[in-house]
Amino acid sequence: MTGGPEGALDLDKLFAARLHAARVRPYLATALFALHVVESRRVPTMAVDRHWRCYASPSFVERTSVEELAGVWVHEVSHLLRDHHGRGDRVARERGLHGPGERLRMNIAADFEINDDVFGDGLVHPAGAVRPTDVGLPEGQLMEDYLRQFGLGPRTQHMAWLDCGSGADGLEREWDLGEDGAHGLTEQERDAVRFRVAQGITGRPGSTPSGWKRWAEEAFHPPQPWRVLLGAAVRSATSGSGAGEDYSYGRPSRRSAGVPGVVLPSLRRRPPRVSVVIDTSASVSDAELGSALLEVAAISRAVGGRRDLVTVVPCDAAARIAHPLCRAEGIPLLGGGGTDLRTGFATALRAGARPDVIVVLTDGQTAWPATRPPCRTVIGLFPGRRASRSWDEGDPDYVPDTPPAWARVVDIG
Amino acid sequence: MPSHASFAPLTAPDSPDSPTAPGTPGTASQLDVAGALLALLRDTTTEPRPDGQLEALTLAVAADLPVLLWGEPGIGKTAALTQLAASLDLPLTTVIASVHEPSDFSGLPVIGDDPAEQGVPMAPPDWAVRLVRAGRGLLFLDELSTAPPAVQAALLRLVLERRIGALQLPPGVRIVAAANPRSSAADGWELSPPLANRFVHLQWTHDHDVVVRGLGGTWPRATLPRLDPERLPAAVDFARRAVCGLLAARPALVHRLPSGEARRGGPWPSPRSWEMTLHLIAFATAAGSSRDVLSLLVRGTVGDGPGLELLAGLDRMDLPDPEDLLADPAAAALPERGDLRQAVLDGVVEAVRKRPEQARWDAAWALMVRALETGAPDLVVVPATALASLRRAEWDVPAEIEGLAGAVSLSLRADRATARAAAATRGGR
Repeated sequence: MTGGPEGALDLDKLFAARLHAARVRPYLATALFALHVVESRRVPTMAVDRHWRCYASPSFVERTSVEELAGVWVHEVSHLLRDHHGRGDRVARERGLHGPGERLRMNIAADFEINDDVFGDGLVHPAGAVRPTDVGLPEGQLMEDYLRQFGLGPRTQHMAWLDCGSGADGLEREWDLGEDGAHGLTEQERDAVRFRVAQGITGRPGSTPSGWKRWAEEAFHPPQPWRVLLGAAVRSATSGSGAGEDYSYGRPSRRSAGVPGVVLPSLRRRPPRVSVVIDTSASVSDAELGSALLEVAAISRAVGGRRDLVTVVPCDAAARIAHPLCRAEGIPLLGGGGTDLRTGFATALRAGARPDVIVVLTDGQTAWPATRPPCRTVIGLFPGRRASRSWDEGDPDYVPDTPPAWARVVDIG
Repeated sequence: MPSHASFAPLTAPDSPDSPTAPGTPGTASQLDVAGALLALLRDTTTEPRPDGQLEALTLAVAADLPVLLWGEPGIGKTAALTQLAASLDLPLTTVIASVHEPSDFSGLPVIGDDPAEQGVPMAPPDWAVRLVRAGRGLLFLDELSTAPPAVQAALLRLVLERRIGALQLPPGVRIVAAANPRSSAADGWELSPPLANRFVHLQWTHDHDVVVRGLGGTWPRATLPRLDPERLPAAVDFARRAVCGLLAARPALVHRLPSGEARRGGPWPSPRSWEMTLHLIAFATAAGSSRDVLSLLVRGTVGDGPGLELLAGLDRMDLPDPEDLLADPAAAALPERGDLRQAVLDGVVEAVRKRPEQARWDAAWALMVRALETGAPDLVVVPATALASLRRAEWDVPAEIEGLAGAVSLSLRADRATARAAAATRGGR
């Protein structure tokens, strides 16, 4: 930024800053040392590309203190560890965000994601590092979420020069050395570095900030949307033997005419009966119940649209009655107090024709049946503010049972 | 009828009130014109382009392991199989699983003269008979996930036991199956863990650039891997060392059933899948494939976590042996990449710690100086500090230590910054 004749890149200063960064963030040392420094007079400050090269401007290094440079190191390596270029590309494709303006927004959103939790604790906040609070947004969100919440305007004017390179938003820069340049990391090497950092964090959780712990847990296993998981679990349970569409010897196949005297199976449809037990106790919020009912409707479609085959059992401490879904509008989801899902299971199994699948939607604050019910069970578990809510004055050590092993459990939320 | 309407331009000359040339010649010429247009559309060229996922598929098929391609419908799985069959010089047989009955794969019972005496043979379908007669071929079982459960059960027997009814598929037949991810499969299907463990899972994705360029008239032509007969024994040795080295150090990785709903139906480690991994490493090594290709294969066989640990182990196998470096520090070739270089220096310090002798300690200092002269100084600081702490009272400080002055001043500079930053962040928060 500052003009005038520039000296050579002060590598010693840059490396001293990297050493400082590696000392205060030991779990990032592998990633920091894997970066290859490239001197570039075209980058405004420091920037990374997707091949793990770090471009540094000599004048920026000269006018920045060692401890601030350490913060920039951690900031830049965070872009790469969090795969901001890959995520930026995906968002660009999904939401049709193209052009330099959108990429600048992505860079800013990615910076928000990083800057709200990497500094402090021995790492100073570099001057000019933007935070979500600068544009009035809450902290602790992901790049994709921030991207929805702000536009370029007067409040982001001072961020317009911000440029962390193609590693931050996926757009190639003119200074990038590209795929064929020297000292780039291949995709497999990048994965290996990210994996070793993640392993270092999960192996020694200690004082690691929660943001990094969450990153380490999800680095190679991004959480899947619970709707997909719940749908798959229910579909898999309903399409098992004895329910759903499958071959049956109950009636002869139409092919039998060509093979006289042979009994062949024929394709028959037997839609499964599903009982949905909904936890209506006080510990489940209205919003959770609302989304649970939406899922009931989705499940009824998934099993072939026979709404009369889906029953709903509202259950708190006692379950009184099973309602057919065709009257779902009028099902009283009343309740409160404690939960005992055992009565819900009993009611569901007692009601008319025995269900093929029981789907339980609960927060898990309940006792479970001691024996496996005679049908498949899927449990949709709402996130519990468990530690705070399960506290019982008479029994402070009370911990609710975990869902039984014979059920498939999907975490909802 | 909308289907008829869409063909109207071709059939129009047939109608009596058509203004264009009536009669059969007109029809033929219209069809000829359409044919010419189709020929123009089909007239595409190819260009060589490396294709990692196709290379991985080729290696898994060559290793005769059951492959399951996971991919959204319409992204070119069939086209890839066609190319693979051509390159392996195998006739391709495609069977759409969802339009068949279970008896098509388990065999149709045919009653003979005396069923009680001779039994009821299970007759195989014609494509299976032709495949067995040919003795070789590539069998592609498409749309596994949209077939009813009983058909899937029959198909899995075909994939895993290579039997169709009474027929046994000859060894020259290779089988590849394809399925849609459960999020997009209309009927939702997932593998139980025992079945998932028998497959090499390859995620099939499309490359945006390839599709755009292909629709523009130029499709990629991948050069497929060739096994090098010279390298076979070395490849087997390498694969055994890689897998055994990891499993000896990490016994927990030998067998780990997938836990949690999100990882169901995917690859997971077991002695069976580790053996498959061993085969795949040997094949990839003999073919000289890149680590990226091996990464697809290994992670598709034992899962992401164990797969990445294995790959990290391979990276370490590539690093120079600390004992070799200590024996001849002057000729040492240290890796360029900073994190690997630090791993090597840490290994050297560890080797000195295990067998502390003055000569080895001195050699380690020579290595530190060499690392300082040829690369970034900050990564020498931690190993050098650890090495200094190994000093025995009777050992003289080697002259080489002078050369480390740069690293010492760098370390002091970082110390000062650490102190300033600690003060600033304590006060600022």
